[in-house]
Amino acid sequence: MTGKEKIFSLINPIIKKSPADQTEAVVINSQAGLTRYANSTIHQNVFEVNSKIYFRVALGKKIGVASTNLLDKESMKRALEDAVTIAKNQKKTPDFTGLPLKTSYKKLKTYSKKTANFTPLQRAQEIKKIFEMAAKRNFTVAGAFSTGESELAILNSNGVACFQPVSSAYINITAMSDNSSGYADGLSRNVDNLDIESLTETAIQKCLDSKNPQALEPGEYTVILEPKAIAELLEWMNYIGFGAKSYQDGTSFLSGKVGQKIMGENVSIYDDGNDDMSMAFPFDFEGIPKKKIFFVQKGVAKGVVYDSITANKDKTKSTGHALTPDSPDRALALNLFIKGGDSNLKKMVESTERGILITRFHYINGLIDTNNAVMTGMTRDGTFYVEKGKVRHGIKNLRFTESMLKAFSNVEQLSRQRKLISSWWSDIGCICVPAMKIKNFRFTGKTEF
Amino acid sequence: LKELIRETINGLKKKGVDYADLRQVKRISENIKVKNREVEGVSKSEDLGFGIRVLYKGAWGFASSNIISKGEYKRIANLAVEIARASSLAQKEPVRLAENEVYKDKYVSPCEIDPFKVSLDEKLNLLISACDIMLKNPGIKVADVSLNFFRTEQIFANTEGSLIEQIITESGGGATATAAKDGETQWRSYPNSHGGDYATRGYELIREMNLLKHMERISEEAVALLSAPECPAQETTVIISGNQMALQVHESCGHPIELDRVLGTEISLAGGSFMTMDKLGQLRYGSPKVNIYADATTPGGLGSFGYDDEGVKAQRTDIIQQGRFVGYLTSRETAPLLKQRSNGTMRADGWNRIPLIRMTNINLAPGEVNLEDLIADTQQGLFLDTNKSWSIDDKRLNFQFAVEVAREIKNGKLGQMYKNPIYTGITPEFWNTCDAVCNQNYWHVWGVPNCGKGEPMQTMHVGHGVAPARFTKVKVGGSR
Repeated sequence: MTGKEKIFSLINPIIKKSPADQTEAVVINSQAGLTRYANSTIHQNVFEVNSKIYFRVALGKKIGVASTNLLDKESMKRALEDAVTIAKNQKKTPDFTGLPLKTSYKKLKTYSKKTANFTPLQRAQEIKKIFEMAAKRNFTVAGAFSTGESELAILNSNGVACFQPVSSAYINITAMSDNSSGYADGLSRNVDNLDIESLTETAIQKCLDSKNPQALEPGEYTVILEPKAIAELLEWMNYIGFGAKSYQDGTSFLSGKVGQKIMGENVSIYDDGNDDMSMAFPFDFEGIPKKKIFFVQKGVAKGVVYDSITANKDKTKSTGHALTPDSPDRALALNLFIKGGDSNLKKMVESTERGILITRFHYINGLIDTNNAVMTGMTRDGTFYVEKGKVRHGIKNLRFTESMLKAFSNVEQLSRQRKLISSWWSDIGCICVPAMKIKNFRFTGKTEF
Repeated sequence: LKELIRETINGLKKKGVDYADLRQVKRISENIKVKNREVEGVSKSEDLGFGIRVLYKGAWGFASSNIISKGEYKRIANLAVEIARASSLAQKEPVRLAENEVYKDKYVSPCEIDPFKVSLDEKLNLLISACDIMLKNPGIKVADVSLNFFRTEQIFANTEGSLIEQIITESGGGATATAAKDGETQWRSYPNSHGGDYATRGYELIREMNLLKHMERISEEAVALLSAPECPAQETTVIISGNQMALQVHESCGHPIELDRVLGTEISLAGGSFMTMDKLGQLRYGSPKVNIYADATTPGGLGSFGYDDEGVKAQRTDIIQQGRFVGYLTSRETAPLLKQRSNGTMRADGWNRIPLIRMTNINLAPGEVNLEDLIADTQQGLFLDTNKSWSIDDKRLNFQFAVEVAREIKNGKLGQMYKNPIYTGITPEFWNTCDAVCNQNYWHVWGVPNCGKGEPMQTMHVGHGVAPARFTKVKVGGSR
């Protein structure tokens, strides 16, 4: 990686010479490797070195943004000129009141040298062990194992100068028989924290337990959702409801409901970029320190996350959740948490008279009715029928169509233990959630496997 | 630069690779978004780099970099070989590639008006005018309009001697009017939802869209939806609009015919396919009215190109003939399993991604009827228009779509509007109820710019030439 001093000495002179009233630079450098496997063979193995620099300039209230992935002086100069040209030809952005001022942010350890330097050969060696474990059960396995590092720097003409290096390691494992599958995954800043053997055992056991699945008719059931399934729902809730833009547009399920009880008292959902239990990251893409923000606290709607422009619109302050300068979504929560309870998966199963245990979902879509957080999706890779306190057998996959406002009002138990679940932004955050037991969850369709 | 590419390819040959290819790709883009007359964002981006894919002793390695220098080309080539060596540690069977012609060629996509030369002022004025019209309707809370333009310049070279240059220009845009009242929102889009319509064309596409003509209508419809009744649950006949048919084809036909997915290499993320190889030539996928083909040569299609990203010439392949499943999308690695050559569908999302089997333009051939006649021929049913949400299981069987609006069809006439309509089905059961596809006059190639697949995620631009079509016995309902 380039390092803080070198990036700052490269970018600061460009900002100083900028003809704009105000200039901001966002620099992202990364290198990452990813090995994919399926049918118990490696079929893709890739490596990438890349960079990106965004210039956001302001001429009064006119803003221009341009970016390049080339960090030579000529390319950066051209990108800055493009941003200035755009700003000159722009209309005013009324809610822009200037780039952020310098503030301090929390020092966090987010980098593991071993993870950054993990080689394709090391990944292949670990994957080979997965193949061997699956072969003992005559299962095949599929998945991906990635390791890499990034560095992010934010500088602006008001003196903001933020820098953070990060590393990440992620593996997912799907074990497969001729009529069943089982899934497990792991995520950490440090590759040493991935217990690949244990994850493989989990995937294999789920595959074994769900063999010869039986059909179950759609309807309302008590469900026990493992953390991966909860995270997939929460990812969509975030996209349609936790950012200022959807809130201001009135399409968020939080719009007009702040202060009202919208979920069960045992549900608290929040974002905290400084909690190093998760993939912590201390500042946003404007260089503003991340604040802990509750979306729902003890069932009551509390608010959303902001960047500086959406915050001005609502006459409040940024919460430190700006996305990259070219993003039309403006602000998004990237370090999501659901507060844990006092239960565990075993207790949830034992207390269930009739229900469904779900490992994860497939292809959720939350655009059906965003004001009510109605979503649909399919179960996959480990769906089980629970009766009289025991997991009885695997079942064929089902489609749910359900309002998350209703589902999260029907939460009976939450596990104490929470798990990190990867998302597309996992270099700078992730989702950390418990398992949850929810009553009257609506399934509307079924499939053939 | 070509000399550097040649040197790198020759260096890989000397290392004894079975096969290697190199793609250097430069992409520029411009994105403009206006919301409620305010410019939410104008941005321009440039992205340049190269990727080297190596087959060494039957195993794949791929490495890529944004640093354009002789030293980096050499380092990345060596790294790709090293990665291939690592792959061979856990590989069952060596990869063998289908034969391919050697091409030295240049392809430039059609572009009458260069979108990067149209002034920002003209573009902003168009978008602000569109907002003005939408916001004249007091029921509209959010007026969203956007334009996006891309130009991709690519050089492809491989160890077999191919050297192919391509320049592809893409344009797209659209508008959405969102009405809100009492905590409820409804929206209507033009010409399509999720960003509009896209094509491998220039700014002429935007002018032909005639955005301003449609803004009043979508605003009125969005407001009317707020007080419309919820779509009733029923099993009925539906006529599906062209823009929704594009997504129907995409999800229930385009994805399950990707042969890599069929072979299980996408199983852990995107899933598999019910259209397994034993069903080729056997499966009655749809009714005899259903004819679907892949065509990377469709004029203006967002999935059109000269050559795919392993140097195979763009072509047309039959997928469904009179309802019977007859073909897959293939690559040089997978086609030999069918004793075929690749039909040219390997595509990569930029220099830093390995090519995967992707849709090109997956087209539903036009039928014979006029839309008006089809509606007149329908006693009872619904007209379902413009996608709102999409979801399908990991073998592409059980699907569910929500659309922006349903219109009742009664005694051959369009009637009242319903809100929050959802329809669901099982892919082959659904397509076997297709009893009519509208004719060429209603056939349009819709651009879908957000097709996701692979790890790391790759977003592909694909096209679907479709016309409205009618299906019977479809389960329909509301979202609540």
